[in-house]
Amino acid sequence: MDLYRNIIYQAKNSFRDKGFLFWSLLYPIIMVTFFYIAFSGITNVNLEKINVGVEEDSNIKSILQNIEILNVEEISDRESKEKLEKEEIDGFIKKDLSLIVNDSGLNQTVIKSILDQIVQTSALGKPIEEFDFQVDYINDKDQKENGILVIFYSLIAMVSTYGIYSGIEVVHYIQSNLSEVAARINTTPIKKKTFLLAGIIVGLILNFTSNIILFIVIELIMKLDLITNIGYSLIFIILGNLFGIVFGIFIGVSNNKNINVKTMIAITFTVILSGLSGLFNTNIKIMIEKYVPILAKINPIAVITNNLYKVNLLNNTDGIFEGIIILLAYFLILSLISLVFLRRRQYDSI
Amino acid sequence: MIVYKYFLKTALRHKMIILSYAVIFFMLSIINGIDTENKEITFDETKLDIAIVDDSNTDLSRGLKNYLDENNNIVNLKNDIKEIKEQIFLQQIDAAIIIPSDFEENVKGKQKSLEVIKDDRKISSIQIENEINKYLIFANASKVSGEFKTETINNALKENINVEILEKSSDVNNSANIWFKYYFNFTAYIITAIYIAVMGLIMTEFKDEKLENRTKISSKKFLNYNKEMYLGQITLGVIITGLFVIGSIVLKGQHLEEVNFTKYIVNVSIFSFAILCLTFLINNLTKSRFIINGLSTVLSLGTAFISGVMVPVEYLSEKVITIAKFFPTYYYIKINNMDISSLSDIRYELIIQILFGVAFLLLGVYFSKVKQKA
Repeated sequence: MDLYRNIIYQAKNSFRDKGFLFWSLLYPIIMVTFFYIAFSGITNVNLEKINVGVEEDSNIKSILQNIEILNVEEISDRESKEKLEKEEIDGFIKKDLSLIVNDSGLNQTVIKSILDQIVQTSALGKPIEEFDFQVDYINDKDQKENGILVIFYSLIAMVSTYGIYSGIEVVHYIQSNLSEVAARINTTPIKKKTFLLAGIIVGLILNFTSNIILFIVIELIMKLDLITNIGYSLIFIILGNLFGIVFGIFIGVSNNKNINVKTMIAITFTVILSGLSGLFNTNIKIMIEKYVPILAKINPIAVITNNLYKVNLLNNTDGIFEGIIILLAYFLILSLISLVFLRRRQYDSI
Repeated sequence: MIVYKYFLKTALRHKMIILSYAVIFFMLSIINGIDTENKEITFDETKLDIAIVDDSNTDLSRGLKNYLDENNNIVNLKNDIKEIKEQIFLQQIDAAIIIPSDFEENVKGKQKSLEVIKDDRKISSIQIENEINKYLIFANASKVSGEFKTETINNALKENINVEILEKSSDVNNSANIWFKYYFNFTAYIITAIYIAVMGLIMTEFKDEKLENRTKISSKKFLNYNKEMYLGQITLGVIITGLFVIGSIVLKGQHLEEVNFTKYIVNVSIFSFAILCLTFLINNLTKSRFIINGLSTVLSLGTAFISGVMVPVEYLSEKVITIAKFFPTYYYIKINNMDISSLSDIRYELIIQILFGVAFLLLGVYFSKVKQKA
C-alpha cells in the first residue's frame, strides 16, 4: 500500500516538472526528427550540374554535351587555369583527353569516370549502338540505408538508457545531506527502501513509455522499417532502461556533488558511450572495433546498438545472450555498489 | 565587477567538471580525426574487400573477377547469406557478389544477372555496382557471334585517362589540410555542446530564486549585471575554445605551414561568439537543467548533422541545407571547407555568423528584461 502511494506521489512529481517531461518525452522525438531530416536525401547523392571546360576543337565535345550532368563550355588552355582556380569549372579536358583539376572531390571523380568510360568504349572498338547503357544487371540485395540505420539504432540505444536521470532524481530525494526534501523525508516514517523502489518504478515506466512513443513515431510516421524483431528488440530496450536507472542511482549515491553536476556527468557519459557506438559517424565505431575491440564489447550502449542492428536487420540471433548477460551484469553490479553506499546512513548534523 | 568575479569563481568551483568535459570531447575529436583521409572522395580510390561467390564459373564470371581483382582485394567466402551479412556488418568485407549458375544467359538477355550485397556505410562501395554494370555492358557490346570475349573487355577497361592536379600555393587536399578541416568542423559540434552545458551549469547557480530576488533589489543596474555576466561567459568561452585551438597545435603543430591557420582561428573565434550569444539567450529563456541539457545535445548534434560536420555536405539534400542555413554552424563549416586566398573571400560568411550572434544577444537581453519585470 505504501509502495503504491509512493508511486502515485512520485509520478505526480515527475509530471509537474515540465522540463523533465520535455526531456523525457519530446527530446528523443526532436533528435530523431533531426536525423531523419539530415538523412532524407542522403542515399541518392544529389549531384548538381558539373561545370567542365573543354579545349577548343576537342572531338568529344558533342559526346560530353549529351551527358546530362555536365555543363560544357569551350575554353582555351590559357583561360583554363584561371577558371579552375576560381572554381568556375571543376575540370578542364584537353584535346588528348587528359584531365586537369584544381583539387580532388566528388565532382572531379565523376568527370574522371565519364572520361575513362569514353576512352574504354573507343578502345573496345565497337560501334556505339552496341552499348546498352540503360541496363542494370544488378539485383540489389542490401537493405537500403544500412549505414544510416546504425545511427538510428544508436540513438534508440541512447534514449533507452535515459532512466539515468530518474535515477539521479530519486537519490536526490533520499540523501538528507544533499537536499531539503530528503532531510524532511528522512524524519517521516517513509521507508527509504520503499521510496527508492517507487522512484525506480516510476522512472522505468516514464522512460519506457517514452521509448515506445519514439518507436511509434519512427515506424508509423517516418515509416522507417527499423524494428522487424519486436521481441528481442524489447528485451534490449528494457535492459537499457534497467541499466540506465541503476547507473543514475550509482551516480547519485557515489558522490556529494550537486544535482546539476550529476546531471552533467550523466549527459557526458551517455553522449560519449553513444558516440563510441556510432552515433556521430560510423567511422568512430569502426575505429573502436578495430583497435580496442574490448571497448566495443563492454560499452553498454554499443551492446544495445549492435544487437538491435543484428536482430532487426540481419535476422541473426547468434551471440545475443552474451549481450544480454553483459547488460544484466551491469545492472546487478551497479545495484550492489549503490546499495552499499545507501545502507544505514545516519547523519549527526546536516 | 562583483558579478563577473563571482561568475568566474563559480566556474572555478566547477573546474573539474569543465575540464573533464573538455578532455573527453577532445578525445572524441582525436578519434574522429583518425582516418580522415578515407572520408574524402578522391582519385586514389580505396581498395575494397570484396567476397565473390561464383556458382557459374564461366569465362565471363572469371573475367569479371579478374577485372575487380585489379583494384580491390578479393576474399573467398562460402555462399552463406547469414555469414556474408555478418561479415559485412563487422566490416570484415565491404561487399559480396553472388553469381548464380544461370549468370551468362541472364547477361545475354539483359536481365538481372547477379546479386550484390554491399556495405552502405562505406561511400566507396557504391562504386562497385557501377564497375560491375560497366563490365557487363561492355561484355554485351563485344560479343562475337554470341560468345563473350573477356580478354577484349579486360584490355579495353585497362585504358585510363591522365589526371593532373594544378600546383597551388595551398592545396586543399593535402593531408594536413584535410585533418584541420575535419578537426575544426568537429569543434562546431563540441563548442555548441560544451558552451550550452557548461554555461548552463554555472548559470543555474545564479538563477536560484532567492539570489535572483536579492539581485533584483540591489542597486546594480540591470544592464551592468547582464554585461558582467556576459563578460564572464566570454572569458570562459575564450578558455574553452582556446583549449581546442591549442589542441590542434599540439596534435599537428608541425603542419601549420601547410594550412591556412589564420582562416581557422578567425572562423572559430567568430563562431564561438555566435554560439556564446545563443547560450546567453538559452540561459535567459529557461532555468530547467533538463531543458538546458536537452538543448545542449539537440542543438549540437542536430546542427552538426544538417550542416555537414558528421556527413559531408555533398550528401545532404537541398531541403536539409535550406534548414541548415538558419544556424550559424552552416556558415562556419562552409568556411572551413573553402579554399581561400585572403580573408575577404569569406567576409560574407563571417558577417552572417556575427549577425546571428547579435540577434541571439538582443533576444537574450530582451527576455532577461521581461523576466525582470515579471
